[in-house]
Amino acid sequence: MDTDTASLTGIQGFAAKVGGAPLALVSELRGMWSVLARTLYYVVRGRRERGAIVEQMFAIGNKSLFFMTVTMGFIGMILVFQSGLQAQKVVPDYQVLGPLYLKMLVRDLAASIGAMPLATRVGAGIAAEIGSMVVTEQIDALRMCAADPIEYLVVPRFVASLIMTAALLIWAAFVAFIAGMITANLVFEVNFHTFMNATMVEPGDVLIGFTKCVAYGAAIPIVSAYCGLRTFGGSEGVGWATTSAVVNSCLAIIVLNFFISAAGYFVFPT
Amino acid sequence: MPISFRGLHKRFGPKTVLDGVDLDVRDGECFFVIGTSGVGKSVLIKHLVGLLRPDAGEILLDGREVSRLSERDLYDVRKRCAMVFQNSTLFDSMTCVENVALPLRKHQHLSVSQAATEALRRLDQVHMSEFADAYPAELGDGMRKRVAIARALTLDPSYVLFDEPTTSLDPINARRVDQMIDELAHRLGVTSIVVSHDLVSIFGIADRIAMLYQGRVRVVGTPDELRRSTDPVVQQFIEGRAQGPMEV
Repeated sequence: MDTDTASLTGIQGFAAKVGGAPLALVSELRGMWSVLARTLYYVVRGRRERGAIVEQMFAIGNKSLFFMTVTMGFIGMILVFQSGLQAQKVVPDYQVLGPLYLKMLVRDLAASIGAMPLATRVGAGIAAEIGSMVVTEQIDALRMCAADPIEYLVVPRFVASLIMTAALLIWAAFVAFIAGMITANLVFEVNFHTFMNATMVEPGDVLIGFTKCVAYGAAIPIVSAYCGLRTFGGSEGVGWATTSAVVNSCLAIIVLNFFISAAGYFVFPT
Repeated sequence: MPISFRGLHKRFGPKTVLDGVDLDVRDGECFFVIGTSGVGKSVLIKHLVGLLRPDAGEILLDGREVSRLSERDLYDVRKRCAMVFQNSTLFDSMTCVENVALPLRKHQHLSVSQAATEALRRLDQVHMSEFADAYPAELGDGMRKRVAIARALTLDPSYVLFDEPTTSLDPINARRVDQMIDELAHRLGVTSIVVSHDLVSIFGIADRIAMLYQGRVRVVGTPDELRRSTDPVVQQFIEGRAQGPMEV
């Protein structure tokens, strides 16, 4: 009898371990979906706090500008340098280096690579701010004042992120391209005119790239706000919320990139 | 009874915090909920305004069951039943006047300027109008508490919940807060539920006291009844003894 119970407990324990992770994932996704749905509802139906969106646009956009410029400048240099080195082994002709690099930047790299550092800066900031408000009961105090935390805190960040992420990622593409062009000129002696060739970029590439900018701009605040809102405990909880906001935002970017790229491949095959 | 808790149960993970709480609060009284830290006092009062949902049981406010109301329906409850949080919980990014004006703007949909005018009047009542444009970080604990009380009273609630209002205050500021709570209940007829383990407050201004212990109400009575209680748990608490039957 004891053996049976022990074996049943063992099986149950194993089942709990195996089933627990997917259930937790489903629960997380449902939570994020709920935050997104309520945010969209309040974007359409909610009342705007005067200046809140502009304030968040400044925090998300302007304050990320220097960081994004430096990061994407270096990434642009590295990408072109490495691509040039590899190309050298196959065809020592750099005529297509610029056009191909520009196509990749527009279609994918500027948005997907640029969104990662943005997710760390913006995502961590949103999760830490909202998480701190949770553990200091400010979210409860907001609810007591009839201010829905989604409407009051998440909506301004969501709208600001949509606009500023798109703007920053377009800027990131520009910076990475210029940095790459200078690198190609200095290292591989590709002249600027040859490098700056947009003939391979098609409208579909621009549309896919812009879709990614908008999708990442929506995903970062939603994932981060969700992580902030479910903060539990004290400063340790805020630390965990911040970490999970960065990790989950980056994951969301990668997963979204996969689906948008796949859909883009079928609609606008290269 | 304007406020009743019936068979309230609440668990957080494996820990049972409330294990069948039954409690009635009378109109216009200053009702204290006492007990050791972590016994569930704050959890209990947060149920009343829907900041927490019970696992089982019901909460009646003016005869209306509030524990199953939607967040939007709870706004009406929160208009009538305000709360002063443990650490004042003012919004860091707002000035004092903006903090006090927020409930007016959200609950009563007043314009920014109308709400600010009313908020200034409320701040004046707690002698904080000269700090209207200060941020909470620039104020001391006692001043923050007074602003928090002004914010809670700004909608003229019928009930006010105080979560450890004198914790972290010096004795002088603590007694000032006691005086405000006392005036609220006994001069303005506002029913107050005060969560506290400050013995001076408890025996100074309480009309009745309920002691929570192991997730249930151990005793309810007037301060004199508690003093005369022969229950060793009650005696250990009010005498502040480290040794006794109460588990740590």
